[in-house]
Amino acid sequence: MASIRFDKVQKYFGRGEKRTHALANIDLEIRDREFLAIVGPSGCGKTTCLRLVAGFEAASEGAVSVAGKRVTEPGPDRAVVFQQFALFPWKTARGNIDLGLRNKRMGGEERAKRIADVLKLMNLDSHADAFPHQLSGGMQQRVAIARAYVLDPEVLLMDEPFGALDAQTRVVMQEELVRLARVRPRTVLFITHAVEEAVYLADRVAVMTRRPGTIKEIVDVKSMREAEDWNRFERIEDVMDLDSFVHLRTRIWKSLREEKDS
Amino acid sequence: MAWRRQLVGLSTIITVALAWYLATSVTGFISGGRFPSPVDTWAAFRQISGRGYADGTLLAHALHSLRLVAMGFAVAIATGVPLGLLMGWSRRAEALINPVFLLIRPIPPLAWIPLAILWLGLGDAAKIMVIWFAAFVPAVINSFAGVRAVEPALLEAARMLGTPPWRFITEVLAPSASPMIFTGLRLSLQASWTTLVAAELVGALFGLGRVLNLAQQDIYPGMILVGMLAVAICGWLTTGLLALGEARALAWNQGESRPAS
Ligand SMILES: Nc1ncnc2c1ncn2[C@@H]1O[C@H](COP(=O)(O)OP(=O)(O)OP(=O)(O)O)[C@@H](O)[C@H]1O
Ligand SMILES: [Mg+2]
Repeated sequence: MASIRFDKVQKYFGRGEKRTHALANIDLEIRDREFLAIVGPSGCGKTTCLRLVAGFEAASEGAVSVAGKRVTEPGPDRAVVFQQFALFPWKTARGNIDLGLRNKRMGGEERAKRIADVLKLMNLDSHADAFPHQLSGGMQQRVAIARAYVLDPEVLLMDEPFGALDAQTRVVMQEELVRLARVRPRTVLFITHAVEEAVYLADRVAVMTRRPGTIKEIVDVKSMREAEDWNRFERIEDVMDLDSFVHLRTRIWKSLREEKDS
Repeated sequence: MAWRRQLVGLSTIITVALAWYLATSVTGFISGGRFPSPVDTWAAFRQISGRGYADGTLLAHALHSLRLVAMGFAVAIATGVPLGLLMGWSRRAEALINPVFLLIRPIPPLAWIPLAILWLGLGDAAKIMVIWFAAFVPAVINSFAGVRAVEPALLEAARMLGTPPWRFITEVLAPSASPMIFTGLRLSLQASWTTLVAAELVGALFGLGRVLNLAQQDIYPGMILVGMLAVAICGWLTTGLLALGEARALAWNQGESRPAS
C-alpha cells in the first residue's frame, strides 16, 4: 500500500514581511497505484506539493506521508522525474540509470538485468552508451524516466516532465507513459499545465486555486475512461475526439479559467 | 584551415629568427654584450649540453626544475582541490576556513620566498613550499566556485537516488565542478613555474633558475637566453600534458555531434 497523504499541509516561504503563503490547508490522498494529476494556475504551488513529497522541502504545518511513513528527506522510494531531466552529463545513459541501483548496493548481475529490462521498456536499447548531450530531448527524458522506474519506487513524482519537449515528441511520450502505466502501475503524482495531458493520463485530476494554493476540486476521470472504454484506442488523437473526453476537458478547463480570471 | 594558420605561424617565427640573425651577427646593430646572437646562443647551448654549466648539463637542470614543479603542483592539487570542494559543499567549512584564506590570499606568492629559505634552506623543500603556496590559491578558489555553480537539480537528483556522501563528492560534485577545477589547475601550473624560477633565482644550488642566475653574474647573454628558452619549453610541455589530462577527464563535455535518431 503506497499511498501519498497530505494532512492539513500549510507551506510558507521566507519570514516576516516577505513571507509567502504558498500552500493552504492541502488535504489530499493519492491512492495506491493511482495516477493523480495536478493542474492549476502558474505559481499556485504545484511544484511545492511535489517537492514536499520528494522530501526536498518540509511542510510548515501538517504532514506529508508516503505508505504511512512521514516524509523527512529525499529517498529512492520516491523517484522524481524533473522537467529539465537533471541527468548527470558525465555519465552515459546506462551510468545514469545505474547510480540509484549501485547506491542500493545491488549486485552486478541483478543490476545488469534490471538495466537491460528498463532500457528495453523505454526503447533505449541502442542509446545505452550515449552521453546525455548526444541524445535528443525526448531520449533524455526517457533516460530520466528509466532512471526513476528502475528503482522500482513506491511512488513516482513527475513535475511537467514533458514541458521541455516539442509537441510531437510530447505526444509520443504521453502514449508511452500510458503504456508504461498499464505494464507497471505505480502511484503517480503528475504535475502539468496542459489540461488535455492531465485528462489523457490521469485517473483523477486535482484542480488547484491561485496562491495560496489549495485543492479546489477533484475530477474523476477513471470511471469515465472505463465506462467509455478509452483504452481501446492506441492513439491520443482518437481519445481526444471522444465526447466524453471533451466533456471532462471542458469542465476542468472552466474550473481553471475561473481561477485565472478572478 | 588549420594548415594555413600553421604556415603563417611558421613564417613569422622564421622571419623573427632571420631578423635576429641580421640585427646581431650580420649588421652588429645590437651588440653581443646586450643580446646574444644565434651563434653565441648555439655555442652556449653546446657548452651546457656537453660540458655542463652551473654544475650540471641542461637536461639535468631542466629535470631538476621539472621535478620540483611537479611535486609542488601535485601537493597543491592534493590539498587545494579537496579543500575547495569541501568549502563549496559545506557552508560551515566555508565559514571556518574562508577568513584565514582571505587573510593569506593578498600576499603575493613570491613574498614567501625569504621565509621559505629561512625555514628550509636553499634545498628542494623550500622550493616545493613556495610552489605549493602559489599554486594552492587558484586550485582552491576554482574548485570552490565550481561546486557552487553546480546545477541544483543535479544535487537533488543525486539525493533522490540515495547517493552516499563519498560517492556524492566523487561522482557528482567533483565531475560537475571539473571544468572549473581544470581552469584553476592551469592557473596553478603557471604560478608554479613563475615561483619556481623566482625562488631559484633568489637562491638555489641547482636548476634552471640557478643557470639564469649564474649566467647573469658571469655576464653571459647566450647562456641567459638558453636558460630562458629552456624554461619556456618546460612550461609548454607541462601545460600540454595538463591539457591532455583535461581532454581525457572532460571527454563527456566535448561537443561530439549527436547521432541521428
Ligand atoms: N524556495 C522558495 N523560496 C521562496 N518562494 C518560493 C520558493 N519556492 C516556491 N516559492 C513560491 O511559492 C509559490 C508556489 O511556487 P511553485 O513553484 O510551487 O508554483 P507552481 O504552481 O509550480 O508554478 P508553475 O506553474 O510556474 O510551475 C510561488 O509564488 C513561488 O514564488
Ligand atoms: Mg512548477
